[in-house]
Amino acid sequence: MQETLVTPTLSVLSRSSITMQDRSSTAGQASSTGPQPSRPSVIPPPSKSKGWKSGANVRRMRRIIAEDPEWSLAIVPLLTELCIQHIVENFQNNPILKQLLPEHQQKVLNHLSPDLPLTVTANLIDDENYWRRCCMQRWPVCHVARHGGSWKRLFFERHLENLIKHFIPSTTDPAVILDLLPFCRNYVRRLRVDQFLPPVQLPLQPWNGELSDSGSEAEMEQPTGDHYQLRDLVAGLSHLEELDLVYGVKDCGMNFEWNLFLFTYQDCHSLAATIKACHTLKTFRLTRSKVDDDKARILIRSLLDHPALEELDLSHNLIGDRGARAAAKLLSHSHLRVLTLANNQVRAPGAQSLAHALAHNTNLISLNLRLNCIEDEGGQALAHALQTNKCLTTLHLGGNELSEPTATLLSQVLTVNTTLTSINLSCNHIGLDGGKQLLEGMSDNKTLLEFDLRLSDVAQESEYLIGQALCANREAARQRALNPSHFMSPITAKGPENPVG
Amino acid sequence: MGRKRVRKIKARAPSRKKKADWYELGGRQKLAKLLLCGTELVTNIQVATDIREIHRRVEEEEIKRQRLEKLENEVKTSQDKFDEITAKWEEGRQKRIPQDLWDVLSTQQVHCAALIEDKNKLISELQQELKTKDDQYVKDLKKQSDDICLLLERMEEQVKNVMKTFRQELSYIEKAFEIERQELLTSNKKKWERALQAHNAKELEYLMNRIKKVEDYEKQLNKQRIWDWEEYNMIKIKLEQDVQILEQQLQQMKATYQLNQEKLEYNFQVLKKRDEESTVIKSQQKRKINRLHDTLNNLRSKYAKQIKQFQEENQSLTSDYKRLVMQFKELQKAMRHFALIDEKQFREIWLMNEEEAKELISRAFDVDRIIHTHHLGLPWTVPDFWFLRNVGPISQQQQKSATQILEEVLMQTEEEETEEAASEAESYLDLPKQISAKTTRKILMLLCDESGFLIESKLLSLLLPLEKNECYLLKLDAIFSALGIESEDDLYKLVNFFLRYRVYHSPSSQEQTSLMSALEPGEKRDLEEQKEESLGEGEAEEKEHPPSPMLIHPNDVLKILEAFVMGLKKPRDSRAPVKLKHVRDDSKDSEYWEALTTVISDTTQNLWDALYTALEKYHLILTQRATLLIENNSLEQQNTELQMLLQQYLDSKINSELQVPPTQVFRVPTT
Repeated sequence: MQETLVTPTLSVLSRSSITMQDRSSTAGQASSTGPQPSRPSVIPPPSKSKGWKSGANVRRMRRIIAEDPEWSLAIVPLLTELCIQHIVENFQNNPILKQLLPEHQQKVLNHLSPDLPLTVTANLIDDENYWRRCCMQRWPVCHVARHGGSWKRLFFERHLENLIKHFIPSTTDPAVILDLLPFCRNYVRRLRVDQFLPPVQLPLQPWNGELSDSGSEAEMEQPTGDHYQLRDLVAGLSHLEELDLVYGVKDCGMNFEWNLFLFTYQDCHSLAATIKACHTLKTFRLTRSKVDDDKARILIRSLLDHPALEELDLSHNLIGDRGARAAAKLLSHSHLRVLTLANNQVRAPGAQSLAHALAHNTNLISLNLRLNCIEDEGGQALAHALQTNKCLTTLHLGGNELSEPTATLLSQVLTVNTTLTSINLSCNHIGLDGGKQLLEGMSDNKTLLEFDLRLSDVAQESEYLIGQALCANREAARQRALNPSHFMSPITAKGPENPVG
Repeated sequence: MGRKRVRKIKARAPSRKKKADWYELGGRQKLAKLLLCGTELVTNIQVATDIREIHRRVEEEEIKRQRLEKLENEVKTSQDKFDEITAKWEEGRQKRIPQDLWDVLSTQQVHCAALIEDKNKLISELQQELKTKDDQYVKDLKKQSDDICLLLERMEEQVKNVMKTFRQELSYIEKAFEIERQELLTSNKKKWERALQAHNAKELEYLMNRIKKVEDYEKQLNKQRIWDWEEYNMIKIKLEQDVQILEQQLQQMKATYQLNQEKLEYNFQVLKKRDEESTVIKSQQKRKINRLHDTLNNLRSKYAKQIKQFQEENQSLTSDYKRLVMQFKELQKAMRHFALIDEKQFREIWLMNEEEAKELISRAFDVDRIIHTHHLGLPWTVPDFWFLRNVGPISQQQQKSATQILEEVLMQTEEEETEEAASEAESYLDLPKQISAKTTRKILMLLCDESGFLIESKLLSLLLPLEKNECYLLKLDAIFSALGIESEDDLYKLVNFFLRYRVYHSPSSQEQTSLMSALEPGEKRDLEEQKEESLGEGEAEEKEHPPSPMLIHPNDVLKILEAFVMGLKKPRDSRAPVKLKHVRDDSKDSEYWEALTTVISDTTQNLWDALYTALEKYHLILTQRATLLIENNSLEQQNTELQMLLQQYLDSKINSELQVPPTQVFRVPTT
């Protein structure tokens, strides 16, 4: 009876739903397979209604029509369903979301296409599921944990990174990136750009001559191979906390050219001004960018007395003693907690200045000087500094040409210091005696959890014994962590453990 | 329940923990080891590359150094060679022989070629090196990719291993927990069953109890029902009865209603009639009201008329009253006038009577004297009585006004100055005896000088041209009027006050203070009596203390005056109304007149009586004689007269005319 009463309205509705269905089905096939699974639940009524409509009036009174194979008992979708569907269809032109009830909002969000333009969705939709679908659609691998567990943040950060990565100065319109700024400024906290493309040169030059020639020529001819200027972008991102940059080209393979890896002074100055203006910046990484002493000094000078900076990573560059001295100055003029100068050209004087700054520093937790050449002089200076320092927990001195004298001093430090949890002395020439002395120092230490002595000419026996001591320390630390009555120090000790593991 | 469960779990925890811990401990150690080894294995690649890099760097440095050395040597040798060649150019220039020159040039060429060859060699060497470096780079790239592959492989392996071991561990732990859970389950099940059994038993018990209770309740319910039923019936019966009663009452009420209706109808009729009547009465009353209104209006007009009349009357009465007042005043004037006249008359009459009385008395005295001297031959003395000296009506000493006194004082002192020895005048007696006129005068002068402020300035200006005495008089008059001194007494009081003040402040005269303090200024009679008593004393004292008003400092005058005025206020107020009446004291009059009558004493009267009787007798005799004499004389006279008359009559013509002539009648007496 109900159906008979409702029929006139139904026919109209069904017609409209048919048209909608047609549109949506074609769109669905064209665009993606994403919305497909949700469709079938919506599809049946129109397809059925078609058949039902074709049926004669006689059949109207019957509930089940045996002859019609398309007949089903599924009822016509609710008006709300239809409305939601309509909203979803026309979301791009008329985004209605906030005015809906929560349950309807959820439905709309579930059915929205991830291809909608960001101008519509960016500031309107906060739903994580929607952004998750967007991310999953664009990138096969997504680490949400690396982006603070927020899919929206992940989407915008990666989207922005992609844009910057493929930005070619003087060819790409800078508005491409800056237009995105109003939508992503509230969500982007980290910018990890591992590639900056150089400005396009005449296609003849790179491919014509030999590799070496063209490289030298490019270097000679185009000293102003400036990259994309981050200044406007960073100034617009109000929540930016991490900046991870590599001025270079990825996957160049055999197309290697020197001018692909060129970090010019212009770049350096603009970057320095950019990071100086960004007061929310906590982490700044500039690796593999051929930063020499002068550029490092320019950058570090701009970072002096920065209100928020906590981590500075300048590894895989060409920083020498002067750059190290500047970094040492930075240590005493900021709240820096992590300093990484791995794979640079720091020698004994630089290490000494760093040690001098370290002696009275109360902020620095981690210092990484891997693959430098500080030698015994610098090592001894650092060891002396560690006797007074009460803050540093992680120290990496791998591959620094250290030998026995440093080991003896370090063993003294081990007996005294109670904050260090991780030391790496791999790839040095500690020697057998040095190993024994370190073992002695270890016997009195109860806090050290990691001590890497691989490939450093230490006797296997002492290495094993040190390993035992470390095991004991680790167990003790674990117990301390379990018992809340103890200090928090084990928890902080676990922090540096993670990246190693 | 939830809490209990938690507690149970907690209690069981140790036993379970043991096993789990055991598993956990073993597993964890194993896992830690695995992780450590794995990370070591993975990081080994990094370390290996590091050390390779270090070695490479060392080698590179060495090679670089060698290369630099080589290049430097090369530069040096080439420079030497170049120098040699340039030196030889000079040498060649000096050569004049072409053969030599050619030789030199050829050698130069050879040398240059050698130099260039050397350079080229070096370049080719370096290029060779570069090529090898390129190869190295390619190799390194390959190596790197290999390393990365290895790294990935190891990582994957590690991940796999770790996953596997973790899964294993997980399964172990799960198994352990499963077993534990099983144990727990069985134990709990046992407990549960036990508890269930207990519960069932209890449930049964409760059921039995419940059944019993239900039965009890059913019984009670039945009882209750029966009771209720009975009660219900009772109530029903009662209510039915009530209904019947009420119906009866209803009937009654209906009957009464009917009755009342009829009554009311009747009443209604009556009331209608009454209404009609009342309308009639109303019209009557209205008419009456109209009439009364008319009368009221009349009365009003009458009232207004009367008011007018009364007003007029009132006016006339007030005019009458005014007239009467005037008349009364006139009457008073007349009264005063008459009083004065009466007084005068009284005085005159008194004087007249007194004169008469005195005349009589003097006659009596004369008579007495004559009697005494002439008749009795006794010496006679004139009796001296006080009333004999009295002239005029007896009265209190006339109160003189202060100004009069003043005048007197001033005048007298003036006079005194001129005639020192003059006897004390009458007015002096009026003054208190201890105060001489001089002191009074001095005090008054002082007062006049000091209290000039009391006098009006106008008056002062008017006084300027006057004589000194008059000036003083007027000034004092003004001052006294200001102070409120009117009578003589007040003046005396003032003077006394001054003196007392002086005495108070002079310690030598303490006796006098006591004496003076006895003199209350308010009691006048005492003062008067005292006056007479201290008549002698006062004078004596005054002589002892010569009047020295100078002792009163002019500055003290004001204080004294103030004190005086304060003291004077009260007595004055009470005396003021009495002053108007001058009631004559006639108590002494009768006495006086009585006394006048008794001027001649009884003894003398007795004497006189006796004398009178004797004299009377004598007189009688004398009179008898006199009469007789007189008679005789008269008779003689008569006789003569008669004779004369007779003669006359007889001589007159009338006699002749009469029928009976008198001569005939008189013949007889004459005969």
